[in-house]
Amino acid sequence: MTFNRREFIKANAIAAAAAVAGVSVPAIASNLITSSDITKLKWDKAPCRFCGTGCSVNVGVMDGKVVATHGDIKSPVNKGLNCVKGYFLSKIMYGKDRLTTPLLRMTNGKYDKEGEFAPVSWDQAFDVMAEKAKETLKKDGPTAVGMFGSGQWTVQEGYAAVKLMKAGFRSNNIDPNARHCMASAVGGFMRTFGIDEPMGCYDDLEAADAFVLWGSNMAEMHPILWTRLTDRRLSSPHVKVAVLSTFEHRSFDLADNGMIFTPQTDLAILNYIAHYIISTGRVNKDFVSKHTNFRLGETDIGYGLRPEHPLEQAAKNNGKTAGSSTPIDFEEYAKFVSTYTVEYTSKLSGVPEHKLEALAELYADPKIKVTSFWTMGFNQHTRGVWANNLVYNIHLLTGKISTPGNSPFSLTGQPSACGTAREVGTFSHRLPADMVVTNPKHRATAEKIWDLPEGTIPAKPGYHAVLQNRMLKDGKLNFYWVQCNNNMQAAANINEEGYPGYRNPKNFIVVSDPYPTVTAQAADLILPTAMWVEKEGVYGNAERRTQSWYQMVEAPTGAKSDLWQLVEFSKRFAIEDVWPEELIAKKPDVRGKTLYDVLYKDSSVGKFSLDEVPEDRLNDESRHFGFYIQKGLFEEYATFGRGHAHDLAPYDRYHKERGLRWPVVNGKETKWRFKEGSDPYVKAGSGWDFYGHKDGRARIFALPYEPPAESPDEEYDLWLSTGRVLEHWHSGSMTQRVPELYKAMPDALVYMHPDDAKKRNMRRGDLVKLISRRGEVQTRVETRGRNKPPIGLVYMPWFDASRLVNKVTLDATDPLSKQTDFKKCAIKIVKV
Amino acid sequence: MTQNSDTRPSEYHVASLVASCILKDVEAVKKAITEVDDTEIHATSAEGKIVFTIEGTSYKDIDKKIDIIRVHTGILNLSPVYHQVLDEDQERKLAESDKADALSYQIK
Repeated sequence: MTFNRREFIKANAIAAAAAVAGVSVPAIASNLITSSDITKLKWDKAPCRFCGTGCSVNVGVMDGKVVATHGDIKSPVNKGLNCVKGYFLSKIMYGKDRLTTPLLRMTNGKYDKEGEFAPVSWDQAFDVMAEKAKETLKKDGPTAVGMFGSGQWTVQEGYAAVKLMKAGFRSNNIDPNARHCMASAVGGFMRTFGIDEPMGCYDDLEAADAFVLWGSNMAEMHPILWTRLTDRRLSSPHVKVAVLSTFEHRSFDLADNGMIFTPQTDLAILNYIAHYIISTGRVNKDFVSKHTNFRLGETDIGYGLRPEHPLEQAAKNNGKTAGSSTPIDFEEYAKFVSTYTVEYTSKLSGVPEHKLEALAELYADPKIKVTSFWTMGFNQHTRGVWANNLVYNIHLLTGKISTPGNSPFSLTGQPSACGTAREVGTFSHRLPADMVVTNPKHRATAEKIWDLPEGTIPAKPGYHAVLQNRMLKDGKLNFYWVQCNNNMQAAANINEEGYPGYRNPKNFIVVSDPYPTVTAQAADLILPTAMWVEKEGVYGNAERRTQSWYQMVEAPTGAKSDLWQLVEFSKRFAIEDVWPEELIAKKPDVRGKTLYDVLYKDSSVGKFSLDEVPEDRLNDESRHFGFYIQKGLFEEYATFGRGHAHDLAPYDRYHKERGLRWPVVNGKETKWRFKEGSDPYVKAGSGWDFYGHKDGRARIFALPYEPPAESPDEEYDLWLSTGRVLEHWHSGSMTQRVPELYKAMPDALVYMHPDDAKKRNMRRGDLVKLISRRGEVQTRVETRGRNKPPIGLVYMPWFDASRLVNKVTLDATDPLSKQTDFKKCAIKIVKV
Repeated sequence: MTQNSDTRPSEYHVASLVASCILKDVEAVKKAITEVDDTEIHATSAEGKIVFTIEGTSYKDIDKKIDIIRVHTGILNLSPVYHQVLDEDQERKLAESDKADALSYQIK
């Protein structure tokens, strides 16, 4: 049969779609012509640059440019599918305003905080940066130096940054933007299980009988996982889907039981379910008695606002003991949750009783395998850690955990929130592999692996993300480097707590980014950054899957990866510039060396030769520094977790796999942790073993409903929830530059109930102002469309740099996780 | 799959997509798809998945057609899978220089 060219490529397109849909098509389409069409296109695999799902994509390169991508059919995560963002992935690197030269604020050829941005060379940029860093270190010491990083950093970049900050500059003031998305999940895992990250994996999607979405709009934010969930629901009629949210969204389309609840009352609903399980006699007593114990948590813990705020003044336990708890027994716990009757909970939450009962029954029925998914609805919550603890309670009471389909599953928003932010430990209190700076043994372990003198790493946690902004404003954090995030758009209350700190005359702010984001424009120095497949790297997704990719194209001339920037900058510091004499005296051989020598080149990071970089591969960083730096960083980092339930495979293997889920022991990945037979760390004969805690038991916490930091009142009469949309990824700095995505969703609108609009004499499309006690933002009203808020609540996404909704949000944060609540504050809306 | 190139009149675009539908709405969705110009349905699964293609002359053209279909309330999920551009001017030139196959490729 002869195909013409059009027929040929159409047949390819049909075959690809049929393969991912799992359907057969007529032979004419499936009978693909193969290798005679030798191509100039070079294909390679890489994890997607966007969310935490961790889809694998095939990337097609021609003439040094990424010209094509498609879902990787070999990937167990996405099985050939794309979402609309992944579909246009190849275009993110080619925005017209891509930065290619450092830009420094200058007047008359010299740095001036009030000057205009002007191009400078990398040498000039690093000269000024080093001068400012040294000046700050000399004047105010390491606590005045800080860095804000990313869950989009590669594992190697995050690790290099932690080493530079915590060991080099001896400052724990490093935090990732993952603080805004995952910190409560981390807090929940550590508190309940003593070890971070989900026990289950995406295979649960094909095994569960019921799915419950808690504050997660998977249909828009995790479309590929949603496709798998949809497949399961539609192919197995007994499967049920329950969706809870404070407003109706696209995920409700599939819901058998959709529930709109009053903001913050998810805490009560979670306790009601526990009460229902107990009162209907469905506690898995054998599991509970062998594998859990009960704790009563501290209450009235405040809202993470500045100490002088009236809410903090009023809170009784917002100090260091906020996270403490005392042992209780099952009867005391049962009594505690008995307050949360269906009547009380229904009245508080606004969810009808029969819907609450149907939801509780999914968890209580021992025959139903339940997977719970959550993202920002739980995590961006002033009681985010509690919400996480409370959902684990339900799975633990019923023993529905760590077996296929029984899975409390925290999803992530960034491609390496797990791999880089959490596993590498780029938080202000953390070290790699779940270790913390406050623990002397952990510091000693890190100092040993890093071959540094005892006492190098400071013991006091540094400033977390929210505190960094406050300390910048207060002039206590003066040298600040932002990489791979857009915090001026992403952080709450930017009018009062974001912008003033960046423009504080005492501070020098550096922002590394591929594009001139609002954060970059608020900086003093902008460094142009290489992105995604312009460098080699590793990401870790939400199911503990570690995935690597090779550099496939050159970055635009002048743009350098975050890794290059971090390591090259370290050459500017002699050890004597940054360490006190008494520390140097403990290890005299570092005298006269630079941070680059001590932290990278002469450490185990530098031990893999360039010969190991495949000859036909690009690798700008390794060829610049003279050793296989990505492998060196990865292997040194992996030392922390091997043998400690965080085992990673040898680096080279990841280039051959579509990722592996840690712990990888004896070459085998782990699908379900804590369960005998699937997790090699579980003690034989134990059945389940929650080995993160020394006693091998998970904790069930008694924690109450407590009200939010701010609720609507007479003047500010509406709830505001912020969030994301399908077409744009987070602040839109990449997706807003893809014409097709921009066109599909150009502006952030405020979604409101038609009755709320009518009451205010507003119509769809009207220009309005959202006003809070902190600021205002102008946008247009949308009363139809995909999001349908109830009366009294409005929803506005935050991707739009021209309409910064975070001017009005409140910087109330979970006192335990330090993660901000972006889902609820009080506003009013007026017509412009 | 996507390709980057400027829009030229000689371009032929084909995109394939999978729509996951609410079962009772499958027929309605199929009708909505076929009402859009240059679409073709190739398979429908028992679970409510429709495999279809859209042909057009530019990214914008394809994108516009996707947008019309995407908003249908019977669609739970619309996944674009593959997109290829055939630059027929370029093809002709290459054919003349005996490199006719240089721009074609298939998925791995």
